[in-house]
Amino acid sequence: MRESCNMDRLDRYTCDEALRRVEDFLDRELTADEMRMVEAHLETCEACTGQFLFERQVLADLKDKLRRVALPPDLLARISRSLEPEAGLGGQ
Amino acid sequence: MAFPSHLTVLGPIADLTGLGWLPLAVAALVSPADSPTPPPASSTFESLLTPLLAPAYGTALHLARNRADAEDLVQEASLQAFRAFHTFQTGTNFKAWFFRILTNCFISRYRKGRKERGDVSLDDAPDLFLYTKTAEAGTYTAESNPAQALMAKLGEEQVGRALDALPLEYRSVATLYFIEDFSYQQIGEVLEVPVGTVRSRLHRARKMLQKALYGIAHDEGIL
Repeated sequence: MRESCNMDRLDRYTCDEALRRVEDFLDRELTADEMRMVEAHLETCEACTGQFLFERQVLADLKDKLRRVALPPDLLARISRSLEPEAGLGGQ
Repeated sequence: MAFPSHLTVLGPIADLTGLGWLPLAVAALVSPADSPTPPPASSTFESLLTPLLAPAYGTALHLARNRADAEDLVQEASLQAFRAFHTFQTGTNFKAWFFRILTNCFISRYRKGRKERGDVSLDDAPDLFLYTKTAEAGTYTAESNPAQALMAKLGEEQVGRALDALPLEYRSVATLYFIEDFSYQQIGEVLEVPVGTVRSRLHRARKMLQKALYGIAHDEGIL
């Protein structure tokens, strides 16, 4: 298990503060200042870096596997056929 | 491409109406006043929609949780989008606009009268659930990549099953996030909920997804 590095400096987050932001950090949903504070923490905390890398890998693999979906071969033709009479009628 | 040719017409009459994407027969019936903010003249409904169909089907598959309903859902959303395309505003996000139609179609058509329950308990799993479990299992060492090792053993079907086990309000957010790569803001626009709601639902969805994945991995002897 991880060991906390007990950081408490003002220019970077503590372990708890950084870990609370792991999802928003990986999604780049933090402000620029918050991103820098997390990065500053990770530069000096191996334990948190390991957890962030773990989450990043899981996230990337989940996205990759969930996106491997092919459009059924006849669906495009079905959609096209359903739009034809709409266009003829005015499409509104 | 199998779309009827009249969906891509950019003829002189259509140009005069400012509704360049419309077939001529349609353009003749719609006055400019009906469409104060026309879609971009250089784009067509077909060119905007076609690249979205495969990811839309992927999203529909996890909303409806079966292939037949997913196909019907994408077809219905495409039809409704075509009918409403005159309301699409230039400069806005067509993908978010179309996915809002898709999710609304699902809610109005497929959820009517149905009470759906997810398979994953709403009891929160702890944060970093998979990390903690792999650490407990002793698969984490400084030299290894335990996440990669775990995920390599989980196939697309298993990951999809884990997502499908989430209750709908979490599954819908997670599907738009994982499959479509929408930002929190865009997910909020598609589902018409505040960004804060997206963030909190996604947080719980990720934890439930990790819990479901762990359950599958455990049941199938991977962990």
